[in-house]
Amino acid sequence: MKYDKFFALAKERGITDAEISISTSYSLSFSLFHGEIDNYETNTSSTYMARGIYKGKMGAIVSDVYDKNSAELFVNTIINNASVIENNDPVFIYKGSPKYKKINTFNKDLSKISINEKLNKLYELEKKIKEADPRIVEVQVVGFEESSSSNTILNSHGLKLTQKNNNYFIYGGAVASENGQVKTGFDFFFENDFNKINVDELAKSIAKDAYSKLGGYQCDSSTYKAVLSQDVVSSLLSAYINNAIAEDVQKNSSLFIGKLNQKVASRKVTVEDKPLARTLFARGFDDEGVATKNLPIIKNGILQTYLYNLTTAAKDGVESTGHGVVGGGSKVFTSTWYLEMKAGKKSLEELFKEVDNGVYITEVQGLHAGLNPRSGNFSLQSTGFMIENGKVTHGLDIITVNGNLVDLFNNITEVGNDSKEFISGMKCPSVIVKKIAVSGK
Amino acid sequence: MISKKLAIEVLNEMLATGGDYAEIFYENSNSSTVTVENNKVSSSSTSVSCGVGLRILKENRSVYGYTSDLTKKGLMDLAKSLNKSFNSERILTVTSLTKIKGKNRNVINKSYDDIPLEEKIALVKEGTNEIESIKDPRIVRYIGNFGNNHRRVAIYNSKGKWFSRETEFARIVYQVIVADENGMETGFEGPGCQMDISFFKNKINVRKTARKAAETALMMLTAKECPSGKMPVVIGNGWGGVLFHEACGHPLEASAVSKGLSCFAGKEGEMIASPIVTAVDDSTIDNEWGSIDIDDEGNPGEKRVLIKNGKLVNFMIDDFNGRRMNRKGNGACRRQNYKYCPTSRMSNTYIDNGKSTPEEIIKATKLGLYAVSFAGGSVDPTTGEFNFGCSEAYIIRDGKVCEPVKGATLIGRGEEILKKIDMVANDLAFGQGMCGAASGSIRTNVGQPTLRISEITVGGRGGELK
Repeated sequence: MKYDKFFALAKERGITDAEISISTSYSLSFSLFHGEIDNYETNTSSTYMARGIYKGKMGAIVSDVYDKNSAELFVNTIINNASVIENNDPVFIYKGSPKYKKINTFNKDLSKISINEKLNKLYELEKKIKEADPRIVEVQVVGFEESSSSNTILNSHGLKLTQKNNNYFIYGGAVASENGQVKTGFDFFFENDFNKINVDELAKSIAKDAYSKLGGYQCDSSTYKAVLSQDVVSSLLSAYINNAIAEDVQKNSSLFIGKLNQKVASRKVTVEDKPLARTLFARGFDDEGVATKNLPIIKNGILQTYLYNLTTAAKDGVESTGHGVVGGGSKVFTSTWYLEMKAGKKSLEELFKEVDNGVYITEVQGLHAGLNPRSGNFSLQSTGFMIENGKVTHGLDIITVNGNLVDLFNNITEVGNDSKEFISGMKCPSVIVKKIAVSGK
Repeated sequence: MISKKLAIEVLNEMLATGGDYAEIFYENSNSSTVTVENNKVSSSSTSVSCGVGLRILKENRSVYGYTSDLTKKGLMDLAKSLNKSFNSERILTVTSLTKIKGKNRNVINKSYDDIPLEEKIALVKEGTNEIESIKDPRIVRYIGNFGNNHRRVAIYNSKGKWFSRETEFARIVYQVIVADENGMETGFEGPGCQMDISFFKNKINVRKTARKAAETALMMLTAKECPSGKMPVVIGNGWGGVLFHEACGHPLEASAVSKGLSCFAGKEGEMIASPIVTAVDDSTIDNEWGSIDIDDEGNPGEKRVLIKNGKLVNFMIDDFNGRRMNRKGNGACRRQNYKYCPTSRMSNTYIDNGKSTPEEIIKATKLGLYAVSFAGGSVDPTTGEFNFGCSEAYIIRDGKVCEPVKGATLIGRGEEILKKIDMVANDLAFGQGMCGAASGSIRTNVGQPTLRISEITVGGRGGELK
């Protein structure tokens, strides 16, 4: 077999356990500007990640290429990298889980759709965005991206796991203008079934995201009762749930230290990681080869578990929760796969009514700079609307929302029924928060 | 590398269906990173990458593809699959390739590949030892990291030219996490260069860098929440340049300007900033983090004055987007690696020195914010709306720097903010960052002297500024 030489050489040089994971991917993307294709891309690539345990330490290498010289290079590099490791973290090349759930995230029909059919959807989308509202002055871009990938893990214990998936992503951006004010809007749709694209709906949504922001002005700097959109909830939830990563808890740098089985959010908040749900993000095993499972993380506000890979689980004397991420280095990271916040019963309109007077925050920007994941403090450029007498009135221009993740998740008083799925692998509803600080005038 | 003969064959295949420009971008790179956590090496990793990106242009259309299959068949298959996008007659044939030599601005005396891991670890540990020596129980976790990258690139194009370039860059990063009963804070320092290891040993002081990360984190632990609302803000030199990078740099890239999608499109020759503002994007500074000898289209790096005394005079332009602007590329075309189609990007971007001193600016400010360092930001180039988050800030009262504050984010619209710059000092400095956009994550320097914005919206949780 292609990788026998690597495994044999690894064994010969004293690498006790070895693993290679191979990802191959194909992608096709194109975008239109003013009715013409301005960018077209098609790519094939492979990534080879090899790891091995040498004298009790993990070494690793990542490469785009595996050729006749690779076995030698991989083995030498693993040994060199393992030899400098000084910490005593337990390391593992996994023997395998007793059972793996079969996952089907590959739609063989997608590649049968011709490029022309895909292009036609874009022509239609661009036209319909323009026609959606007279205030739409430009369509910045409409694009289609399709990708398929296959991931295989092979190791010296004889473990062999493979998963394939494919999906597409169709998107558009629009510019709306009125009285000298300029606003942009964007939306997308992703799936692996081509027949599910609804161009009308997507075009309307892109246009509305742009023109509805027009006519906005700054509100007073103050504290408001607020509805947060699904988009805002997903951005903030992802940062908050990262505090459940066991490595950060073990290293005294998480907001969830000592919070297991304690309240970390309002009782309205239930969050589950669902890698086995029927979604495009489904996966049967993590990067270390551990079988995944659906796992409640927060139930009615109470923290149920920390998130583990094999190393951090061994340190706490528990089993891995199947959240290991191998990034090409000797260290294994931790990540969730499909975070779902449980929806409530009320519609968005009912949430506005309940808030009565406050703000509706629809987008937050610049999370990498404006949110400190350690302290939980955030101050984020935002887009939103004023809620007056239970109804959305005017847009809000140039504002920030400011708060702390712990306070925010404890202040959720209602959860909507309008869950939306995001390409980040999350599904979230809109929520009401008791109070949030807004900076404006 | 690819042989000239094969390059000519691939270029001609790419041009077979009427493309008016074709280009092969070959890249072979390796990188290494060691991480020291709480003074013990916790990770060491190596990455090797090799592949080719092919680009065909025809009028305003761009077709791109990449592969890591460097066999003749791999390249010809990709060329054939890309040329299917066009169906005209051939208009160009490449018969020879002449090498064009560029200036090497980033001379490396000793390659990082020849430096043993142990030496890099010892360097990182100088800093982590320094953090340990502070012996403050509030320091709960500290991470030191040294990464270097060696990149060899060759570009072959249908103008019958080929170029090669070899660069090495390295960065040392310290992150410190501190905690007490009131919460947790972080400190970060990450200087980098395109120079050999002497930069880290002689030009900067690694111990001071590490200590600064720890001290900033500890100070932020005691800082109050930043007040919010509109106020005068003095922005510190170096990292403060994130302001210009977001508010103005991105909207001046041809990728947005050429399609009329920038808030500055069509404003060349107009006053878009206060007359005391001169702003530059300069790829030609020796050994600097964002410098390039030749860009990813083979054009030499340039010093581009973007704004001169408030007037918009130039943009960052790549050849492809330049077509819509009737302008030639000015050496600003960049990409993360062969997996990205290149476009116009920044290099070392800064606001130039003014006439005030930093002390004069602080002294002239009665009540406001002094934002010293930043965690980054983002912008919508079409609307010009930007944000950037402060990692170190203080309140100025009666011309004096007073108590530290945390959690400040500055937001605004580029066009408005540039006109509100009312004092510029003479202490220009750079900060090294990674900038993410359409063609991936690239090394860019931000920079500026200390300057003042007469009024900007500040987001924070500390209520009204009093």
